[in-house]
Amino acid sequence: MRLEKCWFCSSTIYPGHGIQFVRNDAKIFRFCRSKCHKNFKMKRNPRKLKWTKAYRRLHGKDMTQDSTFELERKRNRPERYDRNVTESTLKAIKKIDKIRVAREARHHAMRMKGKKAIEQQAAAKELEQSIHLVKAPAALQEDPSLTLPKMKIKVSQSQMEDRMEE
Amino acid sequence: MLTVVVGAGRSLLGSLSNNLLGAVKTTHEVIPRLHYNSIFSQQQRTFIQMRTNLKVVDNSGAKRVMCIQALKGRRGARLGDTIIASVKEAQPRGKVKKGEVVYGVVVRAAMQRGRCDGSEIKFDDNAVVIVNKQGEPIGTRVFGPVPHELRKKKHLKILTLAEHIA
Repeated sequence: MRLEKCWFCSSTIYPGHGIQFVRNDAKIFRFCRSKCHKNFKMKRNPRKLKWTKAYRRLHGKDMTQDSTFELERKRNRPERYDRNVTESTLKAIKKIDKIRVAREARHHAMRMKGKKAIEQQAAAKELEQSIHLVKAPAALQEDPSLTLPKMKIKVSQSQMEDRMEE
Repeated sequence: MLTVVVGAGRSLLGSLSNNLLGAVKTTHEVIPRLHYNSIFSQQQRTFIQMRTNLKVVDNSGAKRVMCIQALKGRRGARLGDTIIASVKEAQPRGKVKKGEVVYGVVVRAAMQRGRCDGSEIKFDDNAVVIVNKQGEPIGTRVFGPVPHELRKKKHLKILTLAEHIA
């Protein structure tokens, strides 16, 4: 059993899924689902479709080079079954996955780093320029400050009860 | 409205209703919202039946062959089946001549065939290797990729001659 990668979207193809297409030059294309297969038949370039891994790697949205990828490379030599090796490999796979996820999260954080500052600046600028959409122009002339003025109204207890009864 | 693609109408309707993979798309339905190129990519591939032209991929001398009977299979032959065919086009000096009736093994079929692990495989064209009544190939070379399915059908000689096994 072997877990393959979809040629189009680079997701893993589990056993029992997908179609493999063999071209006459003996190149095999594996697809995880009919969406990828149909896009391939339409001759679309995966590097131009935003939802594929090829696009994301090409445009720097996802990690491209990492040592964890080296461990996942395809090996064509069959290994003799050894119980201890299998056990340690399974443990290693789990650990490598954890490390890879952590590194991808860090890459994402680095990518999104300046976002909050930019958002704050844009918000401040918008507030300054478009305050006339929120406040009435007469009120602006009265009170040039940007915040609504705080007014303290003293309401006596009996008046409140009268209003509630109404 | 179903339009008949190839072959006898009765058998084709039966195959379309019992099609294993549920790919019951019709070829020539005109739906205005379809893009121009997706009409081409949704071609429905069916079995190899009477009047199907196949490419010959060995050096037996024949170039094109027309199926006149699919042994085994009410609806037609698939990947790995044997057929009886008539040679339509042949090279001038070859082991088979034009007009001869020969047996052939289908080594590439455009219709997908399910594998025992649940995936499907399909090729780019329909191709055949000419064999004798015992199942041994007449030619000495086979071109292009051939599928694993031949091993189960006991066409081992073809597998040894093949340059790539899909």
